[in-house]
Amino acid sequence: MKLNRNGVSTAVAAVAVVIVAVIVAAGAYFAFGSNPGTTTTIVSTTTSTSISTSTFSKTTATPVLINGAGGTLVAPLMSSWTFAYQQVTGGPVNYQPVGSGAGIAQITAKTVDFGESDAPLTAAQYSGLPSGTTLLTIPISDSGVVPAYNLPGLTTPLKFTGDALARIFLGNITQWNDPVLAALNPGVTLPAHAITVIHRSDGSGTMFAFTNYLSDSNAQWKSQVGIGTSVNWPTGLGCKGNAGVAGCIQNTQYAIGPLEIAYQIQNPGAISYGSVRNAAGNFVLANLTNIAQALQAGGTVGLPAGSASWTTVSIINNIFNDTKDTGIYPITTFTYALVYLAQSDQSKGSAVVNFIWWVVNSGQSAGNNLGYPPLPSNVVQLDDATLKTVTYNGTPLYTGP
Amino acid sequence: MSFRLKGDSLLKSSVAAAALAVVALVVALGYEIYSGSGLSIARFGFSFLGGRVWDPVHEIFGALPFLYGTILTSILALLFGLPISLGVAIFLSEKAKGQTTLKYVIGTLVELLAAVPSVIYGLWGLFFLSPLLRQYVEDPLHAYLGFVPLFSGTPFGLDFFTAGVILATMIIPTVSAVSRDILNAVPNSQREAMYSLGATNWEVIRRTVLPYARSGIFGATILGLGRAVGETMAVTMVIGNTPRITASLFSGGYTLSAVIANEFTEASTPLYLSALVEIGLVLFIVALTINVFARFLVWRITRGTRMRV
Repeated sequence: MKLNRNGVSTAVAAVAVVIVAVIVAAGAYFAFGSNPGTTTTIVSTTTSTSISTSTFSKTTATPVLINGAGGTLVAPLMSSWTFAYQQVTGGPVNYQPVGSGAGIAQITAKTVDFGESDAPLTAAQYSGLPSGTTLLTIPISDSGVVPAYNLPGLTTPLKFTGDALARIFLGNITQWNDPVLAALNPGVTLPAHAITVIHRSDGSGTMFAFTNYLSDSNAQWKSQVGIGTSVNWPTGLGCKGNAGVAGCIQNTQYAIGPLEIAYQIQNPGAISYGSVRNAAGNFVLANLTNIAQALQAGGTVGLPAGSASWTTVSIINNIFNDTKDTGIYPITTFTYALVYLAQSDQSKGSAVVNFIWWVVNSGQSAGNNLGYPPLPSNVVQLDDATLKTVTYNGTPLYTGP
Repeated sequence: MSFRLKGDSLLKSSVAAAALAVVALVVALGYEIYSGSGLSIARFGFSFLGGRVWDPVHEIFGALPFLYGTILTSILALLFGLPISLGVAIFLSEKAKGQTTLKYVIGTLVELLAAVPSVIYGLWGLFFLSPLLRQYVEDPLHAYLGFVPLFSGTPFGLDFFTAGVILATMIIPTVSAVSRDILNAVPNSQREAMYSLGATNWEVIRRTVLPYARSGIFGATILGLGRAVGETMAVTMVIGNTPRITASLFSGGYTLSAVIANEFTEASTPLYLSALVEIGLVLFIVALTINVFARFLVWRITRGTRMRV
């Protein structure tokens, strides 16, 4: 390397100057320059996900960025929502699918503007909130869990009860041609082969709903394993993510595993899944309609106000015990947005209220293509009432009709 | 003082600062992990290392199945990967005439393997290798040698064995690249001396080159082992993710890094989170111990040879 008379290589000096210049320029850009502003206008309101425009129009004020964090179950739908919401109203929303636990932790610490969780807060999490604050629980979407399996040659969907599923996942029923399964499926020749159980290896709201359902169905599951996003599975192999479970089931003959309905909707016909018996005694094969009906029925039992504690709310239990609604699918669950009752920033609080209002009222149709059933009307009404109570300095933030 | 001399002391101090920064980073890392596991250490103490149950619902946590999985898969990775790596390194460093283009192509390909992201290995393993291994390797082994505890248990493809094979594939580039350089550094005088005594090609390698490069190859092995111990995404996709301690290679298992990757985002209670951080602490200590032990062994071996890693 050539050295000049000061002993410093000119090449090194030049490189250092360039690096410093790049860092300074990047810093300036991020600090001052990345505001999208109100440069675009609405051209068309018919997006491919057929989201309707509501009472919202493009705001002329500087749009406020709001941040949310929470579970992965609703992540695909949330990215569709944030994109469409920005198209329709200009309001940017940033959502990080870091997991329900992390979402609750972040909203507790107020590092995000809204949280999202697949399970309502536990009593311990409620007591961890800053004192004097109330966190509202607002169902924004839902999901259903189906028992998917890989049985070569069998075309008719198998029938399961919650108790049979619990015993399979406990490891008590080990063969496909077990008398219990044979009795549920008369006329079907079940193979004399061992059942390979597949479950999720990562914590997930889908598993929370599924273990909740198994706990309601089987006392041994309830005492031995319990309910959780991650549990100590008595048997079986864990695969990562919904797609991982689907892949493992497809690659392993005679396997069974719990799969989110969203996967089935997006990949129709890829995996067989069975019907599950509901409280009325009917075997129901899950689809968007009967999941939404189940949530409507579960919701009429009585959901608490948004500001109350939702710890003991078990929508699964409501549906599980519902003997009068004959066509509903039993393994369904809500997923919740978490918003503080008293907002500390007027523009951000207003933006959060408007976004969640839009999600609950106008954004539900986006779920059809992605496999998330639209919220039933009674839950939408409950959510609307809850959103109207959000205040800043005592004045309600919601200003729509 | 002229600018030249100032520049010199400036260089010295900035270089020293960089070195100290590395030390500070390691210390800070260790301290943060240790303090994060405080809750779990207070609750379980040393019994955490021997605990076999991992139950998030009832809040009982133990690290033994994961420790077992990490060590077993790493040993399998070395077992499967080391012979192949040595073979590649010997082939590439072979001083016999000809085949230089082939050596260049193979050398480049092996180094390219190291650049493949580990999640790609995981996907390849899950969708391609796992069914293949199950059908052509695990099922026959189980059918003929099922009485041996190692091969007992119905194979499903997602088990320690497949994880070991994937890890072996991932350490081959590292170990063979470093070993090739080590073998190339063996002085030609050694080889020529053996040839002049009438040794065959194989005898030259076996009796002179390999013993001369012993410590270097050992160091390369430890580098590969370090990668195998920490590998997360590839392993979690093919190992079956079930905390189990069993002699069967065809059983599903779990490793320290896999459980952290899978359960960290949804860890709902402080104790659960703390237990996962403590798993991280265990992994950190395991990796450090392997490296320190390896350095010690290399020092012991190097006293006999003239090569230094």
